[in-house]
Amino acid sequence: MSAESLLVILSGIPWTLAITAGAFTMGAILGIPLCAMRVSRSWLLRSMAIVIVLILRSVPPIVWLFLLYFGIGSGFFQVGPMQASIVALGLITGANLSEIYRGALKSIHPGQWEASHALNMPRWSVFIDIMVPQLVRVILPSATSYIIGLLKDSAIASTVGVTEIAFQANFISRRHFQGLEVFAVAGLFYILISLPVAAVARYSDGVLRAKVAR
Amino acid sequence: MANENGRPKVVERDEIVRALNVGKSFGTHKVLDGINLTVRSGEVLAIIGPSGSGKSTLLRCLNQLEPQTEGSITLAGITIDARKAATKKQLTDLRRSAGMVFQSFNLFPHLSVLQNISLPQQRVLGRPKAEADIRSRALLERVGLASKADHYPVRCSGGQQQRIAIARALALDPKIMLFDEPTSALDPELGLEVLAVMKELADGGMTMVVVTHEMHFAETVSNRVMIMADGRVLEEGPSQSIMRDPQTERAQRFLQAVKNR
Repeated sequence: MSAESLLVILSGIPWTLAITAGAFTMGAILGIPLCAMRVSRSWLLRSMAIVIVLILRSVPPIVWLFLLYFGIGSGFFQVGPMQASIVALGLITGANLSEIYRGALKSIHPGQWEASHALNMPRWSVFIDIMVPQLVRVILPSATSYIIGLLKDSAIASTVGVTEIAFQANFISRRHFQGLEVFAVAGLFYILISLPVAAVARYSDGVLRAKVAR
Repeated sequence: MANENGRPKVVERDEIVRALNVGKSFGTHKVLDGINLTVRSGEVLAIIGPSGSGKSTLLRCLNQLEPQTEGSITLAGITIDARKAATKKQLTDLRRSAGMVFQSFNLFPHLSVLQNISLPQQRVLGRPKAEADIRSRALLERVGLASKADHYPVRCSGGQQQRIAIARALALDPKIMLFDEPTSALDPELGLEVLAVMKELADGGMTMVVVTHEMHFAETVSNRVMIMADGRVLEEGPSQSIMRDPQTERAQRFLQAVKNR
């Protein structure tokens, strides 16, 4: 494979990273209100959250993407391929993360809330000082595997013309009639990006755990 | 001054807790029924009784971790009536006066021992960190754990964790300390360290309400004992007489059972 082909595939990396980071950020934020609704005292909010999460998770990512890009994007207002990809994956990520958040909330001993209330800690402080640091420890491992999954799912953006890794690989393989090597290289790039993500997560999880471990 | 005309001294002023006709139901299940209780400043009240008698629930009603469903509770001048939901300000004022120690310690696992005691001071009282840390270290010294300041709670034994929890509550200068079975999760030897700290507190004049299964503590450290069963008060009075000479048959049965182990 020529150096030029390699460079073309390499040029897809920033787009892959941007979709992954954008969708994860959007999902991480969207997951908070969804989770809050899901654990709310109000029956209506809880049911709404259950339905939203169910819909977001049951429809395949590519269908969401086409719905946004070809459906809404061509009808009501203009949506670029990049925005459509980030929003489609971000919505699904939000639904999944809200469930991860909910699991983490459940894992916190009820005594932590009771002690905070008995000590009269202000609500914001209970959240920021007591809950978030404990939640992060629980969420981190599952969020990392989710990011790695999302990195690979970002390849569906190639279907609407975002020039990320999979799109470029497809383009080169068609131009030079080389399937095997080109897609093998693309696959290798995905692996190379996943490795540092996993390593950073393992390291930070280790540091956080070392403090509270016996 | 009230003594001049031979009347007993007014006790109202000294009263720090008063529960009037307090009831608590979870759905149709009645856990507390018609409880009356007063605690005066400087007094140590031990609440004993079989499991499921409502002792812990009563204690948790006192600082409104569980709001009662009937009757009213006055703590440090704040009255909360079951017929009217407590305002946020009432809850804050009430809880500011009451420190609580739990059976399961409930220290914050991600904070060091020192931070566990300092953070609430900073957030609740607005004490600057340096000042809070000085106070925390002094309290750790008092409960015999000065050397543990920079450790994390999991590195401490249960008895040490409970003493840290006591220090954390004391750091907020409560007027009354509520203890919910503070030694029940500890093996007997570790329980002793905690009881020693509690005895020292009592000797220092702290007002305390202690839900406990430690009969020796109830008899020797507390001024008054209240025996509960099935959500009601069976007997209540000076520790020695209640512990040695209970009047009701149910109380006699309970004390027989715990003393003859």
